[in-house]
Amino acid sequence: MGDWQLLHSEIENGVGTLFLDNGERFNTLHSECIHELCDALTLLEADSDVGCIIITGEPGESFAVGANIAEMHDFQPLDGWNFSRLGQRLFDQIEASSKPIIGALNGITMGGGCDLALACDIRLASDRLKVAHPGAKLGIITGFCGTQKLPRTVGFNKAKEIFMTSRTYTADEALQMKLVEQVYPADQFMQRVRDYAERIADQPPMALHLAKKLLNAAENICLVNGQVMELGAFASLFPRSGNMERIEEFFVEHSD
Amino acid sequence: MKTLSVEKKESIAVIQLQRPSCLNAVNTQMLMELQQQFEELQSDKTVKGVLLTGAEGNFAAGVDLQEIRHFTPLEAIDFAEKGQQLCSLIENFPRPVLTAVNGYALGAGLEIALSSDYILADETAQFGFRELCYGVLPAFGGTQRLPRLVGKSRAKEILFTGQMVSAEEALRIGLVNQLFPQKSLLDDVLQQLQRICSSGLLSLQMAKEVIDTGYEINLRAACKMERDAFAVCFSTEDQKEGMGAFMEKRKPQFTGR
Repeated sequence: MGDWQLLHSEIENGVGTLFLDNGERFNTLHSECIHELCDALTLLEADSDVGCIIITGEPGESFAVGANIAEMHDFQPLDGWNFSRLGQRLFDQIEASSKPIIGALNGITMGGGCDLALACDIRLASDRLKVAHPGAKLGIITGFCGTQKLPRTVGFNKAKEIFMTSRTYTADEALQMKLVEQVYPADQFMQRVRDYAERIADQPPMALHLAKKLLNAAENICLVNGQVMELGAFASLFPRSGNMERIEEFFVEHSD
Repeated sequence: MKTLSVEKKESIAVIQLQRPSCLNAVNTQMLMELQQQFEELQSDKTVKGVLLTGAEGNFAAGVDLQEIRHFTPLEAIDFAEKGQQLCSLIENFPRPVLTAVNGYALGAGLEIALSSDYILADETAQFGFRELCYGVLPAFGGTQRLPRLVGKSRAKEILFTGQMVSAEEALRIGLVNQLFPQKSLLDDVLQQLQRICSSGLLSLQMAKEVIDTGYEINLRAACKMERDAFAVCFSTEDQKEGMGAFMEKRKPQFTGR
């Protein structure tokens, strides 16, 4: 795949994995890194061998820790606006992707890194996860949709606690507040994440794509319109080569 | 003031509801006094956060039935509007407002708590809406804020059954954010609020506003609102100070400018 400085990729068994790796202790999401992520996702999107995508910071200490403070320190409002726009463009791309994207949170996940995790369709965490949104401590708020995605994921009172206290939460706490879907032991983490992703990638891409579209739409539109969309999407999958066989197989497997 | 007391602990204003003879039940006078206090605190720049609590082992029972039982519909509208006005004043208060609940937080009391940023409690806390048992319904925004917090189905269960929700259950369903031991609840919440208020107050205010407003509108528009608020941060001294302090590995001194 592409030639990147701040990440590398691998494709195996239908799963494309992007490893954030900027050569420093923590993976900061500065503008260059966001550009590279956009490019890499574009390539994986076009690759028909890839049915599911993982973004992770394995084997490093962090998943991602948000913007580079040194880069931001001297920002003017217009720079802040542009930077936020760049990040939101990446997150729009993740949302618009036809493939399920998993955030594999291997360790420290803070600020913009937490927002990146929230932009993913599914979050799987290592028991080493430490997650926080410490913007208030720094005199800023996040600009990568965190103030909007977090309340939609964990409820708005919990989201306020997270933003107002700047506190760091453990993997178990993240699981309890439904910020992550699963927690795995650190020593088996990547293997479990790969297994999970391969199970997803093994399903027909069209059904996955439509399910993702509809679930994302559910965040934004009223029930009546959502129902109409679901109806159209459901109907469009019939008849499709392969899916009737899969339905029959499913019932045979589950008949006892 | 007859129904509450206000005490300043450093930069935090602690408002305590005080009608212990009737479990701090909410009446018109309490609504007016709370309204007046929040208005004054809003223009008092030395106050960085507000802690709401109740006297003598309870936060607050529902409305004072003595007062409202003979209301005409017009009087009821007037009363509900006063309550809704207060709740929206608390919700839109530009600095953090936390509620510490021990004992009962019922009906109107719970509605006031729901309009703060979040609720913390001890193991004696009990929550509930008993309005349906009296042939009325909550009218200070409770039927709207409760489902937004705990989901529509649970909110219906709480309202329809009128049953008390225990502290543990409240924690599980997200009505309460954290539980603290009974004897240290007030100190623990005060400490948390002081910690919160040592952050950049401008960015706290913006975070509060974009979370609240963004939750009401679609995600796409909400994210654009967040982006603009983020950019505004870079016109503040707090941002320069916060990031400068981080890079120099020292504690920031925020000025709120």
